[in-house]
Amino acid sequence: MKALSRMSSRSRQFLNFAVTFLSVMLCILILPTRMPGMELLGIGPNWLLIWLVAWSIKRKRTVWGAASMGLVLGFLQDAMTAPHPTHAVSLVVVGVLTVVLQKTWSIPVDIVERDPIPIALIVFGMAVVAETVMGLQFFAMGDRALLEIWSYHQRVALCSAILSSLWAPVIYFPLNRLWEMTRNLEKP
Amino acid sequence: MLKNTFRKWWDLRLQIALLGLAVTAAWGVRQTQGAAVFEVYNWVTRPFHANGSGQEELISARTQELQAQLLELENQNQKLKELLGYVSAKKPKGIVAPIVGRSADHWWQQVTLGRGSNDGIKTDFTVMSPGGLVGRVVSVTPNTSLVLLVSDATSQLGVGITRSRHMGFMRGKGGNQAVMEFFENVPNVKPGDVVSTSSYSQLFPPGLPVGKVVSVDMNKTPAPEAVVEFSAPMNALEWAVVYPHSKQAEPNDSQAQSSAASEGAQQQ
Repeated sequence: MKALSRMSSRSRQFLNFAVTFLSVMLCILILPTRMPGMELLGIGPNWLLIWLVAWSIKRKRTVWGAASMGLVLGFLQDAMTAPHPTHAVSLVVVGVLTVVLQKTWSIPVDIVERDPIPIALIVFGMAVVAETVMGLQFFAMGDRALLEIWSYHQRVALCSAILSSLWAPVIYFPLNRLWEMTRNLEKP
Repeated sequence: MLKNTFRKWWDLRLQIALLGLAVTAAWGVRQTQGAAVFEVYNWVTRPFHANGSGQEELISARTQELQAQLLELENQNQKLKELLGYVSAKKPKGIVAPIVGRSADHWWQQVTLGRGSNDGIKTDFTVMSPGGLVGRVVSVTPNTSLVLLVSDATSQLGVGITRSRHMGFMRGKGGNQAVMEFFENVPNVKPGDVVSTSSYSQLFPPGLPVGKVVSVDMNKTPAPEAVVEFSAPMNALEWAVVYPHSKQAEPNDSQAQSSAASEGAQQQ
């Protein structure tokens, strides 16, 4: 803490940026792994979605910021799989929805920070939304049958939602703590 | 007051510039198909790559593959004996590669291999594993390659029943199964029949073992369908062997072979 408070505001900003960048990198690098206990029917948690919700739930975020962050993460996930249909749409929807949810319901931040249940619930809902948007995109592309998409969607949405919500606190709490630390230091 | 507004305006501009930079960078990563990301992934997970200790478990799967291959070759041989001017093609040497990652989302059935263009892998190469056909290389970086599995819904391939040589095409269903649609209205097929790639398939060489028929639905319209279970363990893959294959090279090869054969015939 002491070492941190001696740093100049510029280097603290850089530290904040580095935390954000490195955590995104970490999420991307765990995406292709399937560690024991982290998969259900061959489906793992959606780490980028958890990261996006953790980022968007903070009080200062704007709708535009969340949308562009969703775009960035979506492009990165496209790069890891296949560019059509893009993952950006589902992640932009998730980012915007999270910010709107946070603003309209004005979820008390201190409760979210202490209790793992609200963040897990939000991630659960957002995972279902994201997989539904992906399913709709596959339907719009028209190379898969609707029945096939529907039956696959049920499996994917449920597994992804359960796993993502269970693993959400693992991403959210350390990240939030780091962000809080650097932000508190910026206050005079 | 003025200083404050200036500072606010400056902060906003900085934010917009940063977000723009992030979006541009992500777009760049997307356009390069995440080459840098996969290279970093390969480097980070290198200590955890499979080192061949689990190979004994795969021997029974390997036996199954060989049985299927034998059946396929026997039938093919019978057909070929009736033909004249047959030149046997040499089987190319494969590149053994560990599987270092699975699909990065839930809608695609992909795996990442720990070998890339440095080891001679190119796109469209065929990927086999103990058990049979696994998929096709769709993108390559120097040390990794991305494989689209045959169990993906977008990968369709021409297949045939080895016993009766009835043809059809197969569409992945995710997991360990696929649906085969026949060209004939009343195909000669029963559960347990071995399925292999047919000569109609353009993306894969013919005659590779794919799986076994689990159930048949003859009343399905417009064409009868069969559910096929892959003989390769799609959910427990650790190693794969990559064989060269390209759509352009094949006609040239057969042309070269046929011209060599005709030359041989002339010399005789």
